[in-house]
Amino acid sequence: MKRRDFLAVTAAGALGARTLGASLPAQAFERVGDRRTLVFSGGQPVPVLDPHVRYDWSTRMMQQSIYDALAKYEGNPAMVVPWLAESWDTSADGLTWTFHLVGNAKFHNGDPVDAEAVRYSFERALKLNKGVAWMLKAYLDPSGIAAVDARTVKITLTQPYGAFLSFIPLWYIVNPKQVIANTVADDYGQKFLTDGDAGSGPFKIRRWDGQAVMALDAVADYWKGWSMPEAERPAGVIYRVIREPTPRKAALQRGEIDMVTEMTPDDYDQLAKMPGIVVTDDVGMTPFTIQMNTQKGPTADLNFRKALAYAFDYDSLLQIENGAAKLLDSPFPNAMTGHVAIKDFPRRNLDKAKAYLAKTPYAKGGIALDYTYVAGLEVERRIGLALLESLQPLGIKINVVAQPWPTLVARGAKPETASDLVAVYVTPVSPDPDVLAAQYASTALGQFWAMHQLSDKTLDAMVASARSEIDPKKRLEKYAAIQQRIVDLQPCIFGMLEDRKWAMRTYVKGFQYCPVRLTGEADLYAVYAAQA
Amino acid sequence: MLRTVATRLGVLVLMLFGLVCITFVVSNVAPSDPAALAAGPDATRDMVETVRREYGLDRPLPQQFVRYVTDLAQLKLGRAIQTGNDVSDDLARYFPATAELVLLSTGFAVLVGVPLGMASAVRRNAWFDHATRILAVSGVALPAFCAALLLQLVFSVVLGWLPTSGQLSVATAPPPAVTGMILFDALWARDLATFREALGYAVLPAFVLSLPSIAAIVRVNRAEMIEVLGADYVTAARAHGVSPWRVIGWLALKNAMLPTLAMIGLRLGWTLGSSFLVETVFDWPGIGLYAVSSALASDFKPVMGVTLCMGATVMLCNLLIDLAYAWLDPRTSAA
Repeated sequence: MKRRDFLAVTAAGALGARTLGASLPAQAFERVGDRRTLVFSGGQPVPVLDPHVRYDWSTRMMQQSIYDALAKYEGNPAMVVPWLAESWDTSADGLTWTFHLVGNAKFHNGDPVDAEAVRYSFERALKLNKGVAWMLKAYLDPSGIAAVDARTVKITLTQPYGAFLSFIPLWYIVNPKQVIANTVADDYGQKFLTDGDAGSGPFKIRRWDGQAVMALDAVADYWKGWSMPEAERPAGVIYRVIREPTPRKAALQRGEIDMVTEMTPDDYDQLAKMPGIVVTDDVGMTPFTIQMNTQKGPTADLNFRKALAYAFDYDSLLQIENGAAKLLDSPFPNAMTGHVAIKDFPRRNLDKAKAYLAKTPYAKGGIALDYTYVAGLEVERRIGLALLESLQPLGIKINVVAQPWPTLVARGAKPETASDLVAVYVTPVSPDPDVLAAQYASTALGQFWAMHQLSDKTLDAMVASARSEIDPKKRLEKYAAIQQRIVDLQPCIFGMLEDRKWAMRTYVKGFQYCPVRLTGEADLYAVYAAQA
Repeated sequence: MLRTVATRLGVLVLMLFGLVCITFVVSNVAPSDPAALAAGPDATRDMVETVRREYGLDRPLPQQFVRYVTDLAQLKLGRAIQTGNDVSDDLARYFPATAELVLLSTGFAVLVGVPLGMASAVRRNAWFDHATRILAVSGVALPAFCAALLLQLVFSVVLGWLPTSGQLSVATAPPPAVTGMILFDALWARDLATFREALGYAVLPAFVLSLPSIAAIVRVNRAEMIEVLGADYVTAARAHGVSPWRVIGWLALKNAMLPTLAMIGLRLGWTLGSSFLVETVFDWPGIGLYAVSSALASDFKPVMGVTLCMGATVMLCNLLIDLAYAWLDPRTSAA
């Protein structure tokens, strides 16, 4: 082969690649007639859509698009607003809740959304004992749900539960007729609802591959109507899974997608500087903590834990996040109901740290601790390095250990196998303080957010008492005391609230931030690719 | 020949059983709790137990193993916890995409590697030979994820010629499934627009996957061609006035292809294994991506299913290569 031939072959290859690429779209949104379909991308698939079986941020985003609940979270701070229920009332003892349904809601197949559908959906969720069941199962028996008439549902709790209403937006209503018709061998329609649609939400399924592409069509005559002007109403929305952040970023730059989430802090900063792209920035509701094993090793000593908490360089967290974070001033995030800033909340103070350390058998340091984080999470790794540097003045060494998520969770379930220190992000599923308070009660042991292994009878009693309190003022007082108690016990180094960000094309409008949504979850009902 | 095939098939079954034993042990040694992961972080203990019972994970390990092997004998691979589907259904859904990628990348490797190896041998020690050898070393040395990200950056972001990831545009409906391989199905349906679009999506992942194979084929083919071109019968053919194209392209290549063919067979297994990484970077919806997603969730039935599927495919490919080898050189079948 001569040099000329070689160059010719190379040029032909390049031309071929270019020719193949010529058919690609110039922008992500797809046109259906004169309407547009927005393309959203994240890294997490949706293997199971069933609203009573599974939820995580991507799953809940799609469930929220296809199903409706009695109420919905909207706004910042998050508020529970009426949805399928136009109003509700509760008895004085907090045991009975009566929901009055709207009259015009209908499922995608045309069936009306009635009280029986609500009763069936709650019963199904409780009996399956999966997904959302944990929220209400201790307070609600299937026999406690009654369809009083076509538009009235009465729910009777077994004991008062202050957080009850905060979970209602997460209990989606399915069409019982469709589920029953598709039930196979007593599976309660689980196989059908894995990728099937029995909802009444603003979108219905056009094409579903939970591992790659989920295309939804907008319901033109959605019973609740649409928030944008009629001319801007979308034709649908597509959720495309791109697992790695680098190709995801490239796809947004290239115009293959309109909106992305789950990028690194550096990627968001770079995207924000690019023309035609905007990056939102809001204070998140996901506390980052370094949990300390309170039952084993040096961290079982309260004074030792206090020493670590006062030695840690909290400003390093802000540097790692490029400033897009807010330091915690309580175990509860700021957007949570009942949050109070705790006085004298631990910040770096080496004198105090040394004073606490002097009260322990490790006054001169000389020990090594394991800091474990989820393999692949660069931010957590860098926080480990910051911790390592922070504890050097105390003579304490840190081994930064990466573990796959399943291993980390399994080992963290028991005090004997749990690491000394573990990096943990936890997004509360509701803004009710009970959700976070419960993570420090001994009933949480075995769950991943309880890798601190904390077991304190006083705190347990305080959490139980606050949970059954229905007087709003007294509840807040009790949760304020709980926050103080948690800080006194210092089961964690309380870190920060990472800002929540989404990057999108400038023509994407209608995005509304609501802190209670999980990680990358967006309300797809509100967003659209503007025509102008 | 029939006896050879029957013996090899018997050995194949035994090897697959060995693979089942190893994957089962490895899966269960890993410190993780798939039921707890599937139940979700908020799940209470009894909710985790519900999932554990549903998937038979509450039984002792020996019982689980016997049940798995019994099911396997009936071609049942169990249920995936993550998707709730039968693993065999999931494999049937995702395997065609992997097969398409592997076939395309092997095609690339042969089409590029063999001519490059030939040309390199013919132009031995010329600049072209040096360039090809540098390419061969780079192809082996460059990690697939690195090559993938670099090519994505150049061809998708900078030049904008090819899509970043996926198998087909989100707006394009896949052609009616015949083989499950979009390229073949599009051709079958004579849908050239979809074929062209799908080819655009497949070019980068297939090329990245083929790089080490191209390198290996170039090196083997070059070495064999150099040896064969120096053989007496080639000199005799040239002396008898046989055209250079016929000498190189037929006489020499046919003999030099034997080790190359064996190499292609070996590379098939490697290519299948490497597809895990390439499918993840390019979000190619094949069994590699399925296995990675499952492994990250400690969902081991799909991982075992994928391992068995890949093991069987590699073993079958090697068997076919052996048979082809015997056809090209009948002396080998006697051995």
